Amino acid sequence: MSKKNVKPSAPTGIVLNIQRYCTHDGPGTRTNVFLKGCSLRCKWCGNPESIAFKPELSYDPRKCTGKEACGLCLKAPFPEGAFYVVEGSDDTIHVNWDLAGDCDESLACLCPEGALEMFGKEMTVDEVLEEVEKDESFYRSTGGGLTLSGGECLLAPDFSAALLEGAHERGINTAIETAGNVPWAFMEKVLAHVDTCLHDHKLTDSERHKKWTGVHNKRILENFKKAYETFPDIDFIARTPLIPGINADEEHIRAVLEFIRPHKNVIDYELLPYHRFGLGKYLSLGVKYELEDYKTPSDDVVQRLQAIIDEAFGRSGEEPGGLK
Amino acid sequence: MTQEIGHGSFLRRIAIMVGAGHVPGINAVIMGAAKAANNLGWEMVGIRDGFDGLLYPERYPDGGLLTLDTKLIESLDPNAAGLLGQAPRIDPFNVRTVNEDDMVEEVDMSDELIKKLHAENIDALIAVVGGRGLTIMYKLHRKGLPVVCVPRSIENEIAGTMVSFGFNTALSTTIEMLDRVRQAAQAARKIGVVEVLGEQAGWIALQAGIAVGADAVLIPEIPCNLQAVALRLQDKVTARRPYGLVVVAEGVKLIDDDNPQDKPSSLKASLAPLATGDASEHVIRRSGKAAEAVAEGLQLQLAQETFPMVMGPWVRGGTPTAVDRQLALAYGVGALQGIKDGNYGSMVAFNPPKVDFVPLAEAINKLRTVPLDGGFVKIACSLGIFLGREL
Repeated sequence: MSKKNVKPSAPTGIVLNIQRYCTHDGPGTRTNVFLKGCSLRCKWCGNPESIAFKPELSYDPRKCTGKEACGLCLKAPFPEGAFYVVEGSDDTIHVNWDLAGDCDESLACLCPEGALEMFGKEMTVDEVLEEVEKDESFYRSTGGGLTLSGGECLLAPDFSAALLEGAHERGINTAIETAGNVPWAFMEKVLAHVDTCLHDHKLTDSERHKKWTGVHNKRILENFKKAYETFPDIDFIARTPLIPGINADEEHIRAVLEFIRPHKNVIDYELLPYHRFGLGKYLSLGVKYELEDYKTPSDDVVQRLQAIIDEAFGRSGEEPGGLK
Repeated sequence: MTQEIGHGSFLRRIAIMVGAGHVPGINAVIMGAAKAANNLGWEMVGIRDGFDGLLYPERYPDGGLLTLDTKLIESLDPNAAGLLGQAPRIDPFNVRTVNEDDMVEEVDMSDELIKKLHAENIDALIAVVGGRGLTIMYKLHRKGLPVVCVPRSIENEIAGTMVSFGFNTALSTTIEMLDRVRQAAQAARKIGVVEVLGEQAGWIALQAGIAVGADAVLIPEIPCNLQAVALRLQDKVTARRPYGLVVVAEGVKLIDDDNPQDKPSSLKASLAPLATGDASEHVIRRSGKAAEAVAEGLQLQLAQETFPMVMGPWVRGGTPTAVDRQLALAYGVGALQGIKDGNYGSMVAFNPPKVDFVPLAEAINKLRTVPLDGGFVKIACSLGIFLGREL
């Protein structure tokens, strides 16, 4: 993993988070780099803070000490009306999200308790790679590496391609997570530097795909098909976030299998049972969580659908490569 | 855009739009404003589905604007659902669209909206909106839009006005349904825990709870712990009276006595512009969570069985009561008067015996909550209704 011949990297990207020691997003132990910006609006999204492209304000009322003890955000330079206290109620500070949109890092950092934070930070390729390289030894011993995720990492094709290329130059294995709703040119540019591509098949029916994610799936499926054919050396792993009442059904699983099985470089199909992990983040962003009433899929359902996948891949349920 | 028609009057064209979500009495507001406008010789048009009729006229074969002339208004049923329809979102600063690259994005169409209002020769806008809608109208007014707002809220939490239209209808329906739950609880010898509307303010819970003689009423203004509620219910629910009724506002705040340093858990939050839900919704957690939490918490501490019920959407619809019908008409007339007087950037406020105009800057970021030293709290205490803690 020599650093020789590393090119200076100009593009920058808005990085939401760099998460180390991840084990579910590609082979081995990995560092996940989450970029901001997404071209879908999946109603079950577990990372609502990754949707917008720009860094955005978040507010954690648990850290706020209230008007009496602090009250800094109720005065200039914070935008007028962006923060307020309800008269006759408690000391709690509320956010008017419609007026707080102009708050940036320079204002958020004024909050002494850290109740105001920005989701997202502009970083260079080298800054990100410096973080990623910290776990080089883990990558070497486990076959892990860097996984670029989001949001939709393909929406920043120059930054993503440069980051993955830089990782390769350092001898680091690369993976991406994508939903595929981007122009083919973006996907093509990034996939040139990818070892493993984890890609979503959310819904089979195009109209239902639009209802739950905001767009039809025609372009997504065309992209994936072209990707399977253009990049035979990449390991593709299909994934479905499994949500009861939306896509946790045999018909969808069989349709995905029919789509991927003719392509030998699609090495696995993973089910990701839906969990409401994102709920706290929705609260801190003031965003409504639409799937609050949806339950996680039962073990029976997951096992039944997993058995269909295992059968299609010619393995028994106990073998590796099954349910993650 | 104004044209003199003699006697110092001007022929004007006024638009009216309705925010997201149904509130009983919307048609009566439209009738009031349109009749008052027509009487002045002005033209009143309604924008269909929030701002959609103006922003996307191509979606409406009969036009995105509906002329509210005397003939149409005379035949309009004030009890029926909203004539102009509704859009799930009315925020022109964050309009969710799919761009030419088939990617979902939120775009600012506020300038385009104002341009289109000019192009339609509309002099001023009446906006029938709730809490968040007031902020959006405030932002549009800062961009130069002459607007007068009519407050609409079932919870009656909008500050500056004594009562919003729609509240009385919701209260009446809630009382009627609570009476039925009480009968069911009596028959089943259980404790009914009923969640009623009230994410930010407990008016419906408190007033309805008083009307039906509930054993306990839990409202957002009074954080409570379930142990205290359970203790009180133990006294009230006896072998001779083996049932109970607890009314819970959906925004109830529960305190955990085992972790006193924790702040009360709040079920409410305002919405960010990128919210994926309907603009009318100010609730992060869906209906039913408060009833479930309280019923389960009480059952763990009581010998008596509890059952949760949720009023939720059942009380959002229906025919407006006589009070709401009159109030809505008065709000419509008041808004038109506000435009006539040039009270732009304001909200009509009903503070008997006057109809006032409150600047939007003063109307936003405030809540009309139940005062702990107010009359309703005193009445409830006198009737032996437990409010979550000793007052």
